[in-house]
Amino acid sequence: MSDSGALSRRTCFQRIAFLLGGLALWRRVQPAQAEPAGVVETGPQTVRVMRPYDAETPVREFASYLTPNHRFFVRSHFGPPEAALIAEADWRLRVGGLIEHPLELTLKDLKQFERITITAVVQCSGNGRAFHRPKVPGVQWERGAVGNAQWTGVRLRDLLAKAGVRPAAKHVQLQGADRPVVASVPLFTRSIPLEKAVHPDTILAYEMNGRPLPLLHGAPLRVITPGWMADSCIKWLTEITVQADEAKGYYMQTAYRVPVTAIQPNSGLPGTSMVPVEAMVVKSLIASPGNGDEVGRGPVTVQGVAWSGESAITTVELSFDEGRTWEQARLVGEDEPYAWRQWQFLWKPKAAGSASILCRATDSAGQVQPQTTAWNPSGFLWNGWDRVTVTVQA
Amino acid sequence: MERVGPRDRDGAGMMMLSRILIGAFVVGMAGGAAMTGAQEEDVVATLAPRAETLILARCSVCHTPDLVAQQRLPKDRWEATVQKMRHWGAEITEEEAGLLVRFLSARYHPGVPDQLPPLDSELRKAEPLTQEPAAEGPLVGVAVRGAGIFEHNCQACHGTGATGGFGPKLAKNPILKHEDLFWETVLHGRGPMPAWGAALSHQDIADIHAWLLTK
Repeated sequence: MSDSGALSRRTCFQRIAFLLGGLALWRRVQPAQAEPAGVVETGPQTVRVMRPYDAETPVREFASYLTPNHRFFVRSHFGPPEAALIAEADWRLRVGGLIEHPLELTLKDLKQFERITITAVVQCSGNGRAFHRPKVPGVQWERGAVGNAQWTGVRLRDLLAKAGVRPAAKHVQLQGADRPVVASVPLFTRSIPLEKAVHPDTILAYEMNGRPLPLLHGAPLRVITPGWMADSCIKWLTEITVQADEAKGYYMQTAYRVPVTAIQPNSGLPGTSMVPVEAMVVKSLIASPGNGDEVGRGPVTVQGVAWSGESAITTVELSFDEGRTWEQARLVGEDEPYAWRQWQFLWKPKAAGSASILCRATDSAGQVQPQTTAWNPSGFLWNGWDRVTVTVQA
Repeated sequence: MERVGPRDRDGAGMMMLSRILIGAFVVGMAGGAAMTGAQEEDVVATLAPRAETLILARCSVCHTPDLVAQQRLPKDRWEATVQKMRHWGAEITEEEAGLLVRFLSARYHPGVPDQLPPLDSELRKAEPLTQEPAAEGPLVGVAVRGAGIFEHNCQACHGTGATGGFGPKLAKNPILKHEDLFWETVLHGRGPMPAWGAALSHQDIADIHAWLLTK
């Protein structure tokens, strides 16, 4: 009796000691965390989730027009498929559904179609999610879940023409070879309206920046829907199904949707209807100088990129007084329809000390990048003014 | 905080006991009004050992815990998230879901700064999810059971059919013939592999071993 009492008391003490040890440890860790971590971006990517691998590109990389493959942001729900499923010898692309002639194509077959190269921005729908207030669940992307690359492949419309689309067709469902770890998790199945699928610039890409499509970017084949967010740009593509309706399932019917009209944060599910995230909105980023950089008093080159979904960038403006006044930057470099536009501005800092640089873009449809983006439950389509804070040397 | 030595055990014990009682009280309150920072710390400290073991064992089947630690959500959204994951197949009981929501909404609520320590491995070793019955002779693994346990705990890294993935291929792996090394690795971890001693019972591990031998 007394023995077992002593024993349980000892066990109890051990637990208590452990808990307090843990508490102390947790407290000890706190002060170090007060410093802004993650500011030093020395690696090729800033990792948000280790598995499945989700990582963004450090914005300083956006000083170059094309984003290198190994730095290009990576996002998927389940990670790359098993190697056997996408090995070139066994990989097939199947086209079925509301068509006259089902197709089953090898990569070699696919390359018989006309070869097309398009430079296009690919951006995660959740890029900038971390800036929404109140905060929303999901990968907390900041500024770098976007990139600009040269995509080479074939037109989706050429495949569909060969297959013969039937009149009832309205949507094209896209399925990759990636699979969830647990079979009860829904597949990442998406669809795009037929109109977008047969657009001459919608392609199935097997090359990225002149190299075979890397595994993390969807090897051997991915969809590129220029001007649209990347939730349509299915990677590891294996199945195309032409159908009358949107894809069923979580990733089309619940996820990747935004309210049609603005709603109050956390007001419960909106009374307004939810529509799929499609076209990108006007947005710009400051690539250099970087956040926290020290700059001299002499002229400082401020540079970055700006893009919009289906319109051209017309102006990029900078503000050094929290948005009271704006000065126009110079658009430079390549000017291609779906790519981003580079811009530069020669800044002469007026005083030493901390200074904030804001930027905003305007497109040919008259869309102006807003100070903040309307809150939505999943934090999509963030395009608030970009901001970099630097220290001007005395 | 130093470890409690045998000599001061009683005095310190009293103090700790009161902390534990306060902690338990706070856990009970967690469902209600917003907590103070100190109360949150107590909830976190009290629940962390079991909650972090659950996160490691159940959530990281599909994703690493960094995805959890970067969220800053109010309680209702944590509830919705945990329920969504259960619906999708996360092996979490009702009681475990409740504990996770209390822990997550105390540690990762919207008022917490962005920069927090990652889930602390030091806090992970405490309470086993399954209680070991007293040893009654050698364990006999059941391969059929092992298949299911493997799928929900090991497959994420070691691949379907134990053919390898993020972690090494285990089918026909020489380690299966060295049972002591196999057990050592599963119980205490090795390299990037975390310790599973707190998440799997000895019977579970024996079942997994038996199943792996059939691959």
